[in-house]
Amino acid sequence: MSLATQLRDLLRSGVHRIGELELQTDVYGFPYVICHMADAELSTEPAFGGLEIHEGPDDARDLSTYAEDGTYRFTKGQTNLKRGWVMVLESEGDLMLALDQFYPACVGLFVARQGGTLEIETLRDKLNRQTGMYRFARSISDPGAQKLVQEICGPAHQCAKKILWRLDADTPLDDSEASRFNGIPGDLSESEAIPLLCREACNHFVAECRKAAKAEFEAKAAAAEIKPSA
Amino acid sequence: MSIAPKPTSALLIVGHGSTENPDSSTPYFDHADEIRSRGLFAEVHCCFWKEEPSMREAIYMIDSDEIYVVPDFISEGYFTQDVIPRELQLTGPTTVVRGKTFHYCLPVGVHRSMTDLILRRAKEVAAGIDPASTTLIITGHGTGLNQNSTKAIRDQADLIAASGAGYAAVLDAYMEEPPFIAEWDKMSDTPNVVVVPFFISDGLHSYQDIPVLLGMEDEVGAAASQREVFRHNPHHLRGKTLYYTSAIGTERLLADVILDQISDFDKIHKSL
Repeated sequence: MSLATQLRDLLRSGVHRIGELELQTDVYGFPYVICHMADAELSTEPAFGGLEIHEGPDDARDLSTYAEDGTYRFTKGQTNLKRGWVMVLESEGDLMLALDQFYPACVGLFVARQGGTLEIETLRDKLNRQTGMYRFARSISDPGAQKLVQEICGPAHQCAKKILWRLDADTPLDDSEASRFNGIPGDLSESEAIPLLCREACNHFVAECRKAAKAEFEAKAAAAEIKPSA
Repeated sequence: MSIAPKPTSALLIVGHGSTENPDSSTPYFDHADEIRSRGLFAEVHCCFWKEEPSMREAIYMIDSDEIYVVPDFISEGYFTQDVIPRELQLTGPTTVVRGKTFHYCLPVGVHRSMTDLILRRAKEVAAGIDPASTTLIITGHGTGLNQNSTKAIRDQADLIAASGAGYAAVLDAYMEEPPFIAEWDKMSDTPNVVVVPFFISDGLHSYQDIPVLLGMEDEVGAAASQREVFRHNPHHLRGKTLYYTSAIGTERLLADVILDQISDFDKIHKSL
């Protein structure tokens, strides 16, 4: 069964949320309508409550690239999706195209997880594959990486993804709000939403690992310099 | 070159992407949109090294059992020969990964049809200017670490020089290795100079660094999308008339080169 068909079935079963997107079916003759979850009520009013209407999936990339304040949304799980628009879509295929711009691979990752075929990568595996200046990120300590998760990930830090990875095969993440988050922003039951899944650390996390690793290295070097004269 | 429709196959365009520059991935999505609009494939997707979806996430987006992978890169090198195969777990031209058959095509930049795109760009930016009084410079990053990154550009310069396009000279020049693009005026004997950046996107290099090296700007400016997209050609600098185009990869017809690479792949590997 295609991903689009599986998505259709999920919507029929009561799912209506992915990330910050509200997904509605059969609104004013349109098979599918999506908007920011905070605009969900407005979108059911006549003329979509004055929300800016986008026909088809083509504008999904523009809508998801910048936050309201114009900043670049460099990770797609960020909880700063722009409001004030509604997108009307004619088919499941178009809905998939739009969703894969807002939240790349979100449906596919969810379906794979449900089917037990999702491969998850540890942080160490991700860091060990970095190239160029990011190669240094691999030297971050385990405590440093655990600290970063709590400083960067989770809804308190604008990320709506559920973290699936561990530091390595034997080292789970320390318990925290970030590690516990279920990938569903807003107060919604799990049967009503497709969670955003983080199967590998994102590039933002990798970049922060690099910075933290450098700071750890410099701190060690400074400590080594102080020792001989102490 | 035309390509037969592949209604049961997927196309996966691979780009570098950036966590800092929102313009970096725009051409890849444009190329995907263009090819999608032609209805040649069951599905068309992009994936990236530094953006989402990552290369390893891409397989989860794809329904089709046969996938053509085309690196939207300008040269063969570390990324196309090491990083992309490793990330997608490809071991040769055709690899079966988790039940799906991946065909790994060559990067767009090494295809012979890039020559026409460069000429088209050069003619557009300097419309009505006699090629005989013009030096065409194709410029890229250049790095001592990988000779392949300059080879694609040198090859294009040679092809255009031999093409009968009529330019007084066709040269290659680089940001970080000789011949340096910063010396564009010294290497050109003609009053007119056209510079075409051989990059996929108008990112840090083509829109911010090279204009400084050319002398068009005093300092590195903002990203392309955050200011006027088209510069005011021509520029009267260092006693010459300079025409500077946007990156070659921003040409929508690069979509044709992606298709050309697939067509070539089929000819070479599927006819065996």
